[in-house]
Amino acid sequence: MSNNNNQHESTTPLLEIKNLGVSFFTPRGTVRAVRDASLTVNRGEVVGLVGESGCGKSTVAYSIMGYLPGIVQVDGEINYDGNNLVGIDESELEKLRGNRIAMVYQDPQTSLNPTMKIGPQMEEVLKAHLDLNKAEVRERAVELFDSVGLASPDTIGERYPHELSGGMQQRVVIALALACEPDLLIMDEPTTGLDVTTEATILDLVVDLKERVNAGILFVSHNLGVIARVADRVTVMYASQTVEESSVSDIFAKPQHPYTAGLLSCVPRPPTAEGITPRLKRIPGSVFEARSEAGNECLFAPRCPIASTECHASAPQFIEENDRTVRCFFPEKVSGDIWGELRPRREQEAEIDSVVLTAEDLNVRYESRAGKKYILFGEQTESSVRAVVDANFEVKRSRTIGIVGESGSGKSTTARALIGLTPKSSGKITMNSDELAPNVGNRTHDQRADMRIVFQNPTASLNPKLPIKHAIMRSLKLFSEMDDGEAYSEARRLLEAVGLNPDYIERIPKELSGGEQQRVALASAFAANPQVILADEAVSALDVSVQAQVLNLLLQNQQDEGTTFVFISHDLGVVRYVSDEIMVMYAGHVAEQGPAEMVLAAPSHPYTEALLSAAPEPDPEASPSRIRLDGAVPTMREKFSGCFFAERCPRKIGAICDTEEPPEQTGESSDHVIRCHIPVQELSISIASLEG
Amino acid sequence: MTTSHVPSEGNNNFSVSKIVDLFRPIFSAFRTPAGRVGLPLVLLHVGLAALGGLLAPYSPTDFSDLQYASPFTASETGTIPHILGTDQFGRDVFSRLLSGARSIIVISAVGSILGVAIGTAIGMISGYIGGKSDEVIMRVADGLMSFPSLLLALLVLSVSDSLAWLDGISSALATSKEPVLVVATMAIVHSPRVARVLRSATLSIKVQEYVDSARLRGESAIHIIFREILPNALPVLAVEGSVRFSYAILLASSLGFLGLGVEPPSPDWGAMIADSRSILTRAPWVPLAPAAAVASLVVGVNLLTEGIRDAQQLPSELPE
Repeated sequence: MSNNNNQHESTTPLLEIKNLGVSFFTPRGTVRAVRDASLTVNRGEVVGLVGESGCGKSTVAYSIMGYLPGIVQVDGEINYDGNNLVGIDESELEKLRGNRIAMVYQDPQTSLNPTMKIGPQMEEVLKAHLDLNKAEVRERAVELFDSVGLASPDTIGERYPHELSGGMQQRVVIALALACEPDLLIMDEPTTGLDVTTEATILDLVVDLKERVNAGILFVSHNLGVIARVADRVTVMYASQTVEESSVSDIFAKPQHPYTAGLLSCVPRPPTAEGITPRLKRIPGSVFEARSEAGNECLFAPRCPIASTECHASAPQFIEENDRTVRCFFPEKVSGDIWGELRPRREQEAEIDSVVLTAEDLNVRYESRAGKKYILFGEQTESSVRAVVDANFEVKRSRTIGIVGESGSGKSTTARALIGLTPKSSGKITMNSDELAPNVGNRTHDQRADMRIVFQNPTASLNPKLPIKHAIMRSLKLFSEMDDGEAYSEARRLLEAVGLNPDYIERIPKELSGGEQQRVALASAFAANPQVILADEAVSALDVSVQAQVLNLLLQNQQDEGTTFVFISHDLGVVRYVSDEIMVMYAGHVAEQGPAEMVLAAPSHPYTEALLSAAPEPDPEASPSRIRLDGAVPTMREKFSGCFFAERCPRKIGAICDTEEPPEQTGESSDHVIRCHIPVQELSISIASLEG
Repeated sequence: MTTSHVPSEGNNNFSVSKIVDLFRPIFSAFRTPAGRVGLPLVLLHVGLAALGGLLAPYSPTDFSDLQYASPFTASETGTIPHILGTDQFGRDVFSRLLSGARSIIVISAVGSILGVAIGTAIGMISGYIGGKSDEVIMRVADGLMSFPSLLLALLVLSVSDSLAWLDGISSALATSKEPVLVVATMAIVHSPRVARVLRSATLSIKVQEYVDSARLRGESAIHIIFREILPNALPVLAVEGSVRFSYAILLASSLGFLGLGVEPPSPDWGAMIADSRSILTRAPWVPLAPAAAVASLVVGVNLLTEGIRDAQQLPSELPE
């Protein structure tokens, strides 16, 4: 592409958004999706746009492309290379899209045409935008596939999207976006749907692109760790406004807006040098609604610990001062301490007495139906899938076991087997020395009452057509044998206990936010006063500040009632924060398990090591580790030999990994188990230091 | 909302609110253009069915000498003109039309409600239980569905003479045997189709986590099916019920046309068309009036169906 704007480059930023406002007019009133947003992107830099859901960050991204549905009003300026894009013709915008400005969306599956091979999709884009002949188009396509790190770039064009893993699909989408060498690349949560190990490789690619391509990248994400990894500068949004803008190191080290400081203190962090895990802080209240009309005040003031009368009387402006821009009257007062003192996660260590829950040789198979797909006809089905293989663990009273792994690792199946939704195939599950039946229907009333579960998606786990009291009151009536009146007042008390207004009791789930819904799910799990609560990705769908509230509620419950938790998450940071013991699962197998601090430290299973190094830390100074896994978690079939992790293992030692099952080795203590062929002494030395 | 809580209040309202909920999807159709036409049309017909006989200016069955009178001919006996003329026996077509509304609407409504109720129960239970029994139930439903409905109706009506116990039922309901049989036929014809649709709705709902939650609480299958799943299947049910109603009307009028509905001389739209089809050229209003009545009712019901479908799927969410 010819670059006829070199003379601008030094003076004009590539993208400059000034006081952008976006309002949607809907039958149910006006929605101020963006109230006042300003940001700049220069060539060759990655600007992170971060905020919680509903803060308008995606709308900012979409308004650059002019993709705004419905009846919409856009105010302010979007200056691209010195030209204001607000209000220009659709046809002029069309020339910019794809050619000069390209976008990468969250879900690669919806960006790619499932009925077309990758190659033709790429060629289509190249033909539409560039004047190339057939051979050149093909050559360019291969070049692009190569540039995004796809293996065998010359043949990958022959494959359909569904033949690629999620990470590879996202690489293809990025290659498509790069097709015309855009000046500005907008990435809207490009790694949110991906596993951590895949996410890490995509983030590497973004960092690499920044260095290779002289483009500006606007990177939208809710994940502070991801932002810390890729961004040069960061803009924070709250309640449809940009509230702070500065370099990535300043944002994380010395935040100047109380909201930024609050967000950072909600992120679970590794234990301090003294071995204390700091308790998460919480931001009280909820986000200022996009539907509400803003008065002349700071929109964050109702939740702000340092708000003064001035904050309620006038609205602060987004002003630049000493190289940082912040929408706050008292940026100098902001520090991490305004959100409360650093306290250890647990007030006192619980007395460890009895073992509450044990699993012995737990196996879950997804059986294929006897031979044929249908009763009499259909093709022969494949052999059954081994979702959980020989899992052994025990959890003591008032303790938490964390199960971590990527999607497809069998961690959720373990939870479903424990609670009896997916019957185990063999092995033994014992709770308080009672052996539990495989199926929940065959368990006793007391056994059901003593083990409860909280699912990932609160919208799915609450019946959308029934008021929220239904789930809570039914639990109370069935388990505590209360009558209607007692159950009703107890349900109100429980709602209050999880920090909800008890008057919400008659509302249907749709009328609550995701965080509020999850708290209702917690209330109904707490209802029977269970001994064991399984949290199956219970905080994964929540924003970081809401996640902190829910995690604190769980820990509070553990402290007050002595509840035992089985905490399942793909997020190592969260698991590390809550767990006393950690079990790392891969493809249905337990790769490593033991006390949390031992699992997290060397010696580690190569998979644990890879997970640890892939987890994005909310710290831009953290040195990115180089251990990366390609591909995706395989599905374990009946006939399988060798090590479950051999296919992706960065430390594979040879044929033994493909032929023999890895032995159980113990680490520092006997309860720290690593399943690997590599001797423990060698595992103590991390791969990164081996290479260095 | 009050802070003083009276839990029993919720229980007293239970049945009433339940019934209101049941009709909510139907009235939601009024939000759409199709529903705004369909719903009043259907309500008009239902109103006629309720009051038609009372509004009729003349006796629907009495003969008179004024035969083949064209519409708006002044009456010999009354002050109101014959709005839709008279037929070959001198009966007032408008009055017959009004009086006939009740039989067709009541028969179709009862038949389709019965079919929907049976089909819903079978479909949801079959879908929820799953496995072999589901397979068997659905194959039986396939078998029933492959039988032409009109033929099945004729078959049922022709063997009815030999069934003595039918007389008991029909006399208990103060009606002749035929309407009971037509209703029964409708139930048999429609329930497998409804069962299919509700089964598939149940299959998609039963994997939801709130159903898992209910199982984990130890709720009974009946509670789960009717308290957890049914409310979520209501939109599907409303559409399906509406579709079945329109087919029931067509079946009822077809049977009437074949002389298998209401006993003559009571007016029946299908029979009216059949009786007067020979005079289509001489007095076209006589067969056309009931034909138009059937058509408008069916069109109304179909528009209502369309409206419910649109209203229930109306995307009202905004992008972030």
